[in-house]
Amino acid sequence: MAHTTNAHSFKFGDGNANCGIITDSFNTHTTVYKSDEHAKIMPWLSPLEPSNRHQGVRTSRFKGVGDWLLETSEFREWRDGAADKAVLFCSGNPGVGKTYLR
Amino acid sequence: MIDSLCDQARKEDITVACLYCDFLAQQEQTVTSMMGAILKQLVGGVDIPIYLREAFQEGKKEIGGRRLSLEDLVGMLRRAIASLGKVFICIDALDEYLPKDLPELLESLRDIVRQSPGTRVFLTGRPHVGGTIQKYFTGAVVIPISPNTDDIRSYLEMKLDRDSEPEAMDSGLRADIVKVILDKMSDMCVRASCLSILSMMYTYENYV
Repeated sequence: MAHTTNAHSFKFGDGNANCGIITDSFNTHTTVYKSDEHAKIMPWLSPLEPSNRHQGVRTSRFKGVGDWLLETSEFREWRDGAADKAVLFCSGNPGVGKTYLR
Repeated sequence: MIDSLCDQARKEDITVACLYCDFLAQQEQTVTSMMGAILKQLVGGVDIPIYLREAFQEGKKEIGGRRLSLEDLVGMLRRAIASLGKVFICIDALDEYLPKDLPELLESLRDIVRQSPGTRVFLTGRPHVGGTIQKYFTGAVVIPISPNTDDIRSYLEMKLDRDSEPEAMDSGLRADIVKVILDKMSDMCVRASCLSILSMMYTYENYV
């Protein structure tokens, strides 16, 4: 998965309005597939391309931010715990950072 | 912590599927396209399983190429997960998901977790979707994300270090900028914290 997308599509806005290849992850289809068969079947499975979106998030994210969460007992309990703890919900009101960091 | 998680990832077989909800894409984010996108990520890096290849050939027989039903997708997800190690499913910004479809989305996720108990689901969203989530997952672990001053400060310092006009900056101005922003924009990193986890989970894959 980590290698199925074309990195050229993921230059997010860095203040350079002329960069021209800032993309909206939902209408970008530059995915490179593992095989011809993947190229036929994957788009048939779903039109969504979340890997593209994720690349954008990764490149615009700042190292270390949010690491505190990984230290919480809740996080560990979820990661290593029993089936009844299968879901972790991080709840928070939106701030300006949401759009900015995406 | 990151090192220990990566160590864990090296030892275990972990696959991560991430989805992002967006107000602007509500129409295309149907429950079936969301489930399809999860399956796509789980099988995207491996050879196409036979059952999926067959379903595709079958669908092609019909005009336009019939897509899989939600039921088919959930069944295939179970099979795909069974052939993988531990699977993490992350869905960001559930509050941006079409509210009328949210129960069905959560129901499908619940089916997946019931059929494949090792699966872990990571969700983010504004607090108001918490009630709906807990209706489907009564044991859900909830972590309220509140603004973290250290996160904001270190982010600001990095941005200021990379400022394109350093000659316009002095230490007084720099301190003022940090102070004002910390005072007034304390919500800034709410979502950043969540996204950080998503990215964190994603790094697992690179070690598998």
